[in-house]
Amino acid sequence: MPQYRAPLRDIQFVMNELLDTETHYQHIPGGEEATPDMVNAIIQEGAKFCEQVLSPLNQTGDQEGCTLENGAVTTPSGFKEAYQQYIAGGWPSMTADEELGGQGLPGSLSIVMNEMVGTANWSFGMYPGLSHGCLNTLEAHGSDEQKQTYLPKMISGEWTGTMCLTESHCGSDLGILRSKAEPNDDGSYNITGEKIFISAGDHDMADNIIHLVLAKLPDAPKGTKGISVFVVPKFIPDENGNPGERNSVSVGSIEHKMGIHANATCVLNFDGAKGFLIGEPHKGLGYMFTFMNIARIGTAIQGLGSAELSFQGSLEYAKERLAMRSLSGPKNPDGPADPIIVHPDVRRMLMTQKALAEGGRAMIYYAAQQADVATRGQDEDARKEADELLGFLTPIAKAFLTETGIEAANQGMQVLGGHGYISEWGMEQIVRDARIGAIYEGTTGIQALDLLGRKVLMSQGESLKRFTKKVHLFCKEHGNNDSLKEFIEPLSAFNKEWGDLTMKLGSAAMKDREEVGAASYDYLMYSGYGVMAYLWASMAEVAQRKLEEGTSEEAFYTAKLQTARFYFKRMLPRAKAHADAMISGADTLMDMPEEHFAF
Amino acid sequence: MAEYQAPLRDMRFLLNEIFDAPGQWASLPGLSENVDPETADAILEEAGKIAAGSLAPLNQSGDEEGCHWDNGTVTTPEGFKDAYQTYAEGGWVGLGGDPNYGGMGMPKSLVAQVEEMVQGANMAFGLCPMLTAGACLALHAHGSEELKQKYLPKMYEGTWSGAMDLTEPHAGTDLGIIRTKAKPNDDGSYSITGTKIFITWGEHDMAENIIHLVLAKLPDAPPGPKGISLFLVPKYEVNDDDSLGEHNALSCGSLEEKMGIHGSATCVMNYDGARGFLVGEPHKGLMAMFTMMNYERLGVGIQGVGAAEASYQNALAYARERLQSRSPTGAQEKDKVADPILVHPDVRRMLLKMKAHTEGSRAFITYVAQWLDQAKFAEDAEFQKKADAMVALLTPVAKAFLTDRALDTCVIGQQVFGGHGYIREWGQEQLVRDTRITQIYEGTNGIQAMDLMGRKVVANNGQFFEYFADDVADFITENQDDPALEGYIQPLASAIERLADVTEHVINSAGDNPTEVGAAAVDYLDLFGLTAEAYLWARMVKAAKPKADNDTSGFYTGKLKTARFFYDRLLPQTVALAEGIRNGSDSMMAFSEEEFG
Repeated sequence: MPQYRAPLRDIQFVMNELLDTETHYQHIPGGEEATPDMVNAIIQEGAKFCEQVLSPLNQTGDQEGCTLENGAVTTPSGFKEAYQQYIAGGWPSMTADEELGGQGLPGSLSIVMNEMVGTANWSFGMYPGLSHGCLNTLEAHGSDEQKQTYLPKMISGEWTGTMCLTESHCGSDLGILRSKAEPNDDGSYNITGEKIFISAGDHDMADNIIHLVLAKLPDAPKGTKGISVFVVPKFIPDENGNPGERNSVSVGSIEHKMGIHANATCVLNFDGAKGFLIGEPHKGLGYMFTFMNIARIGTAIQGLGSAELSFQGSLEYAKERLAMRSLSGPKNPDGPADPIIVHPDVRRMLMTQKALAEGGRAMIYYAAQQADVATRGQDEDARKEADELLGFLTPIAKAFLTETGIEAANQGMQVLGGHGYISEWGMEQIVRDARIGAIYEGTTGIQALDLLGRKVLMSQGESLKRFTKKVHLFCKEHGNNDSLKEFIEPLSAFNKEWGDLTMKLGSAAMKDREEVGAASYDYLMYSGYGVMAYLWASMAEVAQRKLEEGTSEEAFYTAKLQTARFYFKRMLPRAKAHADAMISGADTLMDMPEEHFAF
Repeated sequence: MAEYQAPLRDMRFLLNEIFDAPGQWASLPGLSENVDPETADAILEEAGKIAAGSLAPLNQSGDEEGCHWDNGTVTTPEGFKDAYQTYAEGGWVGLGGDPNYGGMGMPKSLVAQVEEMVQGANMAFGLCPMLTAGACLALHAHGSEELKQKYLPKMYEGTWSGAMDLTEPHAGTDLGIIRTKAKPNDDGSYSITGTKIFITWGEHDMAENIIHLVLAKLPDAPPGPKGISLFLVPKYEVNDDDSLGEHNALSCGSLEEKMGIHGSATCVMNYDGARGFLVGEPHKGLMAMFTMMNYERLGVGIQGVGAAEASYQNALAYARERLQSRSPTGAQEKDKVADPILVHPDVRRMLLKMKAHTEGSRAFITYVAQWLDQAKFAEDAEFQKKADAMVALLTPVAKAFLTDRALDTCVIGQQVFGGHGYIREWGQEQLVRDTRITQIYEGTNGIQAMDLMGRKVVANNGQFFEYFADDVADFITENQDDPALEGYIQPLASAIERLADVTEHVINSAGDNPTEVGAAAVDYLDLFGLTAEAYLWARMVKAAKPKADNDTSGFYTGKLKTARFFYDRLLPQTVALAEGIRNGSDSMMAFSEEEFG
């Protein structure tokens, strides 16, 4: 398994040089605490923890997996201790409200930490990751009493949380769920039903687990408008706020999965479990969506992490493994063969991973900055603008980065040849772990429908224009800079085509509603290449400027420029195929009768 | 996991309606005595039964149980031994083997279909007969008459299985640097010493003996690939009366823990002065191994088709049953809580992509197999030469393009399942894990691309490519006025022109810059594969169109719609690939090693 090294130089590049985080933080409440020195110290400390504590548990966690015995889940060796250290380091409380015991730092800073945790050990990172979603929902929609009861302990990390949505017959379509909530006389509810695919649904690392459960009240209207959300603790807190009576929620089984073995994916049975309504009846789905954007950015990190870790593992191998001679003559004449990094095709695989990892980092940090403004911005208009931009970027980041993260992980594995397929090297684990990213938190197909249907077309294209305008301004600003021409010209052409294609799809969709679903996947991937092209051009601009100004880090900035060039020449052309496919119409998909799919 | 069903209808369509296989068999004397349409059909039918009935049911349990190593012996998963017995007794191992040594002498175009069924039903199992057949091929082509008499009949029978031992811990792609040694003995045999890794089915309990073909170096071997010899090393020595003698000095040191194909044993093999016999001439082992390897490469492409088919069947069954959300145009099944997900355009996009590639890949394999039969049995020397060139050109494409698309197909199938695709019980994630190896072994897909671009295209200045381009051009000329092919001929002509232009571009730029070949290779192979599939889809349209009007089964109209989907939605990828290649190698080679990070 590759030993994870936090890519601190690149993190700094994106935060400071590309996104000017220092200035950004000055305008975000809580950000004034996040001085450059403080930010740097936090990241250094986090990197150490991820490299030294979490990374070594990644492979052992995969091999050992979680076990279920007598209704209780045991996590792999070392996880419990690592989680204790994670709490002791104050990591769960970094961005939470100071009044509830948090440190009040900007959310985007925790995104950096989440990247490092998730890259070092994704299965581990899911435990606190899910807590976060649960906590945010409670904070936004829970009563004061509920907040007092649950939040401080969840913020400190003593308790963790889950999200219980899926049932065996429904995942994407939650309107048809069957779990029921019966009102009790004391204002609580009895929750009954079976939930599946509950990540971190049970484990031995925290004193209590707080489930957020979607269920239907007896008088619920049909479909998605009849869903309520309840908080259902594993142990019902007593008067002093300590875990009390065991609630009637139990683990039916844990799933045997392709990967993320160290995270317990549970079937949870609620058998008249005591639950408490959050907010108003029947509004549960809306509440769940409040922080959907941020949660999905959290999942997008998995794509970036997969690309980064597999890049690190395969780069190390490519520098050491000797096979064949370079086509342009021996590069390691004293050895029996050259290191495989000399071969163009090996470079293609390494460069693809590098371009996706660094481009993905830029995309996620950029989105996280919008999230800071959207959640804490002082100015109403700026908040709204950032929220809408985030809404546009979220499905792209989630789906595009997890899809390309899988591609990168496969490339990394390919660099190792046969050894890539052997468990011991850890590369195949990255592929297995990465694969879930494109499925949970809304599959790629669902993200694509969200992007094209709900975000772009429903806003009459405004949602896209908000972004393409930024691209346009960037191109205009640097249009006269000859050294950036190779980036600005294709980017500018892409930007125009993006708008044209969207218009075409808009009119096609007016005539035939199937057009949206028929174009959505290709539209999303196309958009992903577009957003990443903007970010690579921006990074190239920074690197070019630094080189012109003179720098002691010439190699670093040259490499940035070269990676940008690789991206524009070798990856961006892929968008063309998506463009052709998306406007080819729905007929090729819809014409075939169901019974003719196979004979 | 959906129950595997052999895709016999499509196989018959290809053999009888596209490629006129019966006509070809009748025209080739070496084949006409062994096979006729009735025999061929009966073989397909029987193979379908054994694949679905005996092999598919062991696929998932084999994955879960895996193989076990205990002090040098390997136990296969429950049921494998019996299934192998059934398989060998049916004569399937020697289906394509030389009748002079007990094989059945069937044409590759037919054998390929059988292999697809076996691999689609159970890839881990299928590897064993596949390796045996490959070892037989190398032995047949390069072994002495004595070795052939002694080993081939038992191997065709399946009583003994075969393995190929190439890779060592430090040498996989670059076999020139292997360290295993062969010392001559007085009796004409050799003592083999060394360690081989990644030896598929190197040790197991299904066959009475295991015949290893081992690459090693003689004491006087020149350095590099020109100093490698090939040896036959049996697990048990074979006595003069063909009974089994002593256990040879070789042993299985351990089994690898892998991502998939858990039902097959991937062995570390230790040779400690094991007695072996030279196959062919000294130092010419790599050439001999390539005979086997070319065969195996096509076999790995076939594994890809099998996996893609299984994946499509599995995902389609799920998409028909799973109820989720309503169709964008209104409820289709009002009495149910939701519509089956097959109504959703994006689910259809995924399924049709799977279908188009699976059927296109099957056509591609059959196309290559038919050229192989021509190469082997044609009597016209000029034509045979062309057939050899076509096989050489198309084999790396079959291996790499079809396995790349197969992995896509398995991953897309997983996506159709949503969360269930990630859970073992549904069998879809196993298909992904199993199929992933096909892009790696028998020469990684990067190596295939180098082989195609460098040795098959640039080295002969595009001569082999011309043969293929002419084949497509002839089809275009013959059919350009056929209204049935309207909407296909034009884009096909553009696609082949694009491929020809890029081919010329790479040949020209390779002269000045040797890295151009490596930089273009993978994208070029992809471009080639897509163009070849476009050609084959056009041929399928030509055959299907006249029958579509009175088609009550939907088979022919289904073919036409799948072809349309391929042309509208998948073929456009060729534009992007061509552009990437034209952009050259600078964006990759400009980096110094340090600048990677």
